[in-house]
Amino acid sequence: MSFTRMMEGNEAAAWGAKLARAEVVPAYPITPQTELISSIATLIADGTMKAEYIKVEGEHTAMAAAVGASVAGARVFTASSSQGIAFMEEALWQPPGRRLPIVMCMVNRTMAPLGGLRPDHTDSLLQRDLGWIQLYCENSQEVLDTILMGYKVGEDRDIYLPVAVCYDGYFVSATATPTTVPDQAQVDEWLPPYRHEWYSLIPGEFKMPPQESFLKIRMGLEDALQRSKKVIEAVDKDYKRRFGRGYDGLLEEYNCDGAEAVIMTMGSMTGTARDVVDEMRAKGKKIGLIKMRGFRPFPTEELQRIAPKYKALAVVDRNNSFGSAGGGIVSMEVARALYSVPDRPLLLNFHVGLSGTDVTMRQIEYMCKETLKAAETGKVKRVVDWVEAHDLGEVM
Amino acid sequence: MSQVVRAFAPKADPDKCIGCGNCQLYCPEGTVMLNENKKPIFDYRYCKGCGVCANECPVHAIEMVKEGTQ
Amino acid sequence: MINEQFDRRYTDLLMQGGTQCCPGCGGPLFWKIALEALGPETIVYGDGPCAMCALRNIKVPFFAIHFSFIADGATGISAAMRVKGREDITIVSSGGDGATGDISFGKVSAAAERNENIIQICIDNEAYMNTGIQKSGLTPFGAWTTTTPTGKESNKKDIPLIIAAHKVPYVATASVAYPRDLQAKLRKAKEIKGFKYIHTVIPCPTGWRFDPAKAVEVTRLGVDTWTWPLYEVEKGVLKMSRKPEQKPVTEYLKAQGRFRGLKEDQVEHIQSEVDARRKNLLAQEGKSLTL
Repeated sequence: MSFTRMMEGNEAAAWGAKLARAEVVPAYPITPQTELISSIATLIADGTMKAEYIKVEGEHTAMAAAVGASVAGARVFTASSSQGIAFMEEALWQPPGRRLPIVMCMVNRTMAPLGGLRPDHTDSLLQRDLGWIQLYCENSQEVLDTILMGYKVGEDRDIYLPVAVCYDGYFVSATATPTTVPDQAQVDEWLPPYRHEWYSLIPGEFKMPPQESFLKIRMGLEDALQRSKKVIEAVDKDYKRRFGRGYDGLLEEYNCDGAEAVIMTMGSMTGTARDVVDEMRAKGKKIGLIKMRGFRPFPTEELQRIAPKYKALAVVDRNNSFGSAGGGIVSMEVARALYSVPDRPLLLNFHVGLSGTDVTMRQIEYMCKETLKAAETGKVKRVVDWVEAHDLGEVM
Repeated sequence: MSQVVRAFAPKADPDKCIGCGNCQLYCPEGTVMLNENKKPIFDYRYCKGCGVCANECPVHAIEMVKEGTQ
Repeated sequence: MINEQFDRRYTDLLMQGGTQCCPGCGGPLFWKIALEALGPETIVYGDGPCAMCALRNIKVPFFAIHFSFIADGATGISAAMRVKGREDITIVSSGGDGATGDISFGKVSAAAERNENIIQICIDNEAYMNTGIQKSGLTPFGAWTTTTPTGKESNKKDIPLIIAAHKVPYVATASVAYPRDLQAKLRKAKEIKGFKYIHTVIPCPTGWRFDPAKAVEVTRLGVDTWTWPLYEVEKGVLKMSRKPEQKPVTEYLKAQGRFRGLKEDQVEHIQSEVDARRKNLLAQEGKSLTL
């Protein structure tokens, strides 16, 4: 039976893993992911979920056990944050390189020593080059839904890619919002059991992918990521048809009709941004919001298609890439995507919420105003703007 | 399989052999076996000429000879 | 004719002859012996030693990552086999000395603590041989390696004893010079549920510096000098597998070029250490090793 109640992101993720019938969960606790794995432990203990929960001694082992289990034919789920993701980095190369459809939650947390336990996106973005699909969720509901979609996309026999479902620590992981948990039978109909056609470790049925050149493997991986764009969109639409909720695939344009300036956000701040944009829109400001849901594969074609509609586009980076060519990680990818587009908008880049500070409505309002100004004047005041460095008055 | 390069190769004297099976047991590559007459035969496709079989034979029935002369 | 006979033999042995290992390497010898005892319903997980070259020739399902991934992938495979209802398949997880003793030491310990249902094997050639003979935690005292050119100053880590302290069902030491003993231990391990650990020192003519033909002979000397005693720890209780007439340790040391630089006082140190261990083992025989 489907049910709805207030649920924190971590618990919603646990329900996602349960509904997906994850079979092996090797995981190691780290704030702010801990409630996810303890929720799974509880679901298993009370018989709601049936899975092998391996209480490993470290994150590197968690991902290694995940790889072993996936090659051996089990559906795998795991999760980590920040230092844990960094600690398993060596192992994170394995699933995309071997094309294993593992789903993991990256519960975003800043990296030490530049912060404590609170969220920014540096930890997951640091792993952007490995070949994982990366989807960023705004709230508990989206986390649950995206986990189910993640398995459907990743296990597509034309794709075979691991999926990172990213969501902000505390702001999503520990914030309760109304969440609908779909009916298990309905999910079973929609998501068939895991079966990887390239691998088997059963004696007598031993199968491994053929020995190809590394070049071929790399090109194959890149190809699969590019192909996955259409699959992500299609699965999203199919999920909406089946369960009534969709997320517009990789990019969502929110309240953008007639907008001249848009800000682009990722993660939990999107929820706050929706409210700010609505308020400003009501006052006649021509501002819109783009939600970047999918960072990998980067939605280049879609962005190239929609960006020319606007005069100014501001990318909000909740991350740092120190010493970079100019600004945060997302803005640089956006710049590259739009480089060849002749009528591309002016590009602004804001850093906010670094080390997990609150992203306030006042800060978002500031970013929107700056972007509107740029659209109006045709000039960008600051190429890279560290919003938290300004005194914007009292927190709203 | 890459080319096997050998300086020495094993050669067995069936008359000396007592069929103990040491050579077969200790060959690291499995390229020595006792045939139906319990005498050692060698797989020269893969034998590396390490000499363990000759060394482990209790009656010195196996001799390491120059490659090509076995 | 002979070729066909051998091709049939390799199928029976579950191992293709002609590995890329050095002549006289104990790695292929280990697997040749082991697979006969383990049988075809086996999955091998592992990586690390240059004995890895031997693993490319085995004829049972095999999967490896790196030597920093020892015992962990096997943990995942084991879980998947439980999910599939295939706990009848024996899972063998192997690693070299560098893997087991150094970089994956924590992982092996954790797998032991979780009592994973695997046979964890250490194939110990006493240095990082695959990368050109560098010291590992399991390199013996006084041995030459490229990173200890004047001889290793620290002692060999005693992994079997450390694993026994985890109170796992079965721990054993073994030697390729005593194949039937090794096979008996593997057969016994197969029948036990939980974490089994078998540590086998294998000869490395290239890294230990001796004529490949002497590979088994040198290994046998290791056992007969009590440098590498053979024993089992079953449910915590120590049982000696062999109690040979003790040969002086110099016979073992003189047979290998890697010990050529040893001074007399160092040889005495080694002999006294070996003597002490022999004495302790004999005193503890039949008793529990764990507290």
